[in-house]
Amino acid sequence: MEALFFNVDTGFLEGVLRGYKSGILSQSHYANLTQCETLEDFRTQLSATDYGNFLANEPLPLSTSTIADKATQVLVNQFNYLRSNAVEPLSKFLDYITYAYMIDNVVLLITGTLHERDTHELLERCHPLGVFDSMPALCVATNVEELYQSVLVETPLAPYFRGCLSPHDLDDLNIEIVRNTVYKAYLEDFYQYCATLGSPTSDVMHSILSFEADRRAINITINSFNTELTKEQRARLFPSIGRLFPAGNNMLARADDIDQVRAACDMVLEYRSFLDSSLSGQSDDSLGVAAQLEDKFFRAEIHLNKLSFLQQFHYGVFYGYVKLKEQEIRNLIWIAECIAQDAKDRMHDFIPIF
Amino acid sequence: MASLTQFKDRNLIAVIGDEDSITGLLLAGVGQVNAQQQKNFLIVDGKTQISAIEAAFQEFTERKDIAIVLINQHIAEKIRPTVDRYRQAFPAVLEIPSKEHPYDPSKDSILKRVQKLVGD
Amino acid sequence: MSGTGARENVFATRMALTNTKLRLKGAVTGHSLLAKKRDALTTRFRAILRKVDEAKRKMGKVMQLASFSLAEVTYATGDISYLVQEQAKIASFRVKAKQENVSGVVLPAFEVERVAGTDFNLTGLGRGGQQVLRAKEVYAKALETLVEIASLQTAFTILDEVIRATNRRVNAIEHVIIPRLDNTIRYIMSELDEMDREEFFRLKKIQGKKKRENAQKQITEAEADTSEAIDEVIDETPANLLESKDEDVIF
Repeated sequence: MEALFFNVDTGFLEGVLRGYKSGILSQSHYANLTQCETLEDFRTQLSATDYGNFLANEPLPLSTSTIADKATQVLVNQFNYLRSNAVEPLSKFLDYITYAYMIDNVVLLITGTLHERDTHELLERCHPLGVFDSMPALCVATNVEELYQSVLVETPLAPYFRGCLSPHDLDDLNIEIVRNTVYKAYLEDFYQYCATLGSPTSDVMHSILSFEADRRAINITINSFNTELTKEQRARLFPSIGRLFPAGNNMLARADDIDQVRAACDMVLEYRSFLDSSLSGQSDDSLGVAAQLEDKFFRAEIHLNKLSFLQQFHYGVFYGYVKLKEQEIRNLIWIAECIAQDAKDRMHDFIPIF
Repeated sequence: MASLTQFKDRNLIAVIGDEDSITGLLLAGVGQVNAQQQKNFLIVDGKTQISAIEAAFQEFTERKDIAIVLINQHIAEKIRPTVDRYRQAFPAVLEIPSKEHPYDPSKDSILKRVQKLVGD
Repeated sequence: MSGTGARENVFATRMALTNTKLRLKGAVTGHSLLAKKRDALTTRFRAILRKVDEAKRKMGKVMQLASFSLAEVTYATGDISYLVQEQAKIASFRVKAKQENVSGVVLPAFEVERVAGTDFNLTGLGRGGQQVLRAKEVYAKALETLVEIASLQTAFTILDEVIRATNRRVNAIEHVIIPRLDNTIRYIMSELDEMDREEFFRLKKIQGKKKRENAQKQITEAEADTSEAIDEVIDETPANLLESKDEDVIF
């Protein structure tokens, strides 16, 4: 039944989106980009792709951060087009996508407020996807208490904040703990929301979100080794969804070293390779393993997001597209960095999408 | 001449640089914010006034707890006369390359002196 | 000659000569010592110069590596610069100055002193923490290189100054003090010689006069001998020596 009426509301946007998707850079584009000697070459190469003249008006010399900003702007424009043409429930779904960025922005503002900085400057640093209308209102807050109240009133993130943090916590806890606590709440909520959308959206999104949740759990575990983060605190940051939940999460919560993380990952077939194969690779120090881990997570994420395009009549593609595009921007920045810093040997460490 | 009292309390590294350099060096742990909210680093971007850079340079070179002042070369370039004029041993002023501006030994005020001395 | 060049204002006496000779000897010893010190410093200086040059060039590479690791962080985590700036509280990477002695010159050398800092322990907790960790390490390594360079550079600046000072002193001794002392000695010597010669001449003169007088005396004696040879023996010399004044004798 879903499929029958899907196109009435969303058919157009899905078509547009799939059009966008075909504009994602392919291997041959990357091959060309990696040949560039300077950032000007890089721009010329990019102008032949769907990015078009997005850098045309930039003064020379180009910096990688301008490229990053402009490329993100392209994505944001596309997204805003989709968002403004969307109707319920897709619009709500798209809003959910922006919440992740919003969390980062709010956390940034909290940091600024905590240190009594002028938070207006911070608005420029916020991720444009996570910008919401009332964001400047948050800048009015001069202390954490006020900020907390305005976050509750002004932002869609209110339930996440109200559910797990008190204004007191913002002051006391490390900002990273705040961020991850809120993010956990967000993931769980998004997961619930996707469930209400029914199959196939829920199927696609659940696999993606489960992975995201597991990735966070594993990352938090590994990154909290040798820090002041206690195991109880750590366990509280794990999202209660995902394929590792609950048994794997319990193991992760107790893990003291990378081997125990590996043991926890062994429970899920797909995750087994993340830590295993890297061990048989070159370096056996945990730093090397963990550094490669991030790469593998990115690859797995891309894979899952690409899978979403194999089905029709669902919203997962929108999420998938945003994530793929995000990865593409990361790739572009990476290549640009390599060009700018003359590190040709590392140039191919990006993760091609198609 | 440099007596022990002159440098024994100097143990901080100050930085004047662009955002990336500062971020990296702060990650390594050079950052210090004292009770008066005085920082030992200054972020220079396109909007930073040259006078602000000069002021920071003066402040860092006059502070008694700083042993080394790191400054991005392209920023040193902006206040070159001040840097060239600076001849004190303490704190040591060191020009470092930044991400977007690879190191050019011919501009370094110390290296210029080195070259001159080696040359003759 | 004794008249040319600067000399010290002294009386030309043997005492002054001995003193000046002693001082010249001191100056020469001082000169050779200072020259040795200068050579030692210069050797050291050259070595440091080479190292500074090398290290500064190496720094380019090291810093590039470091900023690349930051690019990796950005790739994995996104922009963390603001968080990092705001979380910086207490420096965990400090330097300690120790000193090294090169020919009596105290050269400071910075030593890295790292304390376990917790400022950014949780940065990138959810994502990219390992990259952050690695960037930290890479930057810390780069900083070590920078600190090393800073030590070299400080040594360079101080040595430069000390060498200049030493050079000034060596040159002053060589070109001003020693010639002046030399001149003084030569002046005293020549004065003394002059005095010697005068003295000699005077003695000669006296001798001549004495001779003449003696001859005169002998003639008169001979004359008296012939006339009143018996008287002469009784009232001769004692009265003569005391009463008759010798005009040539000044004192």
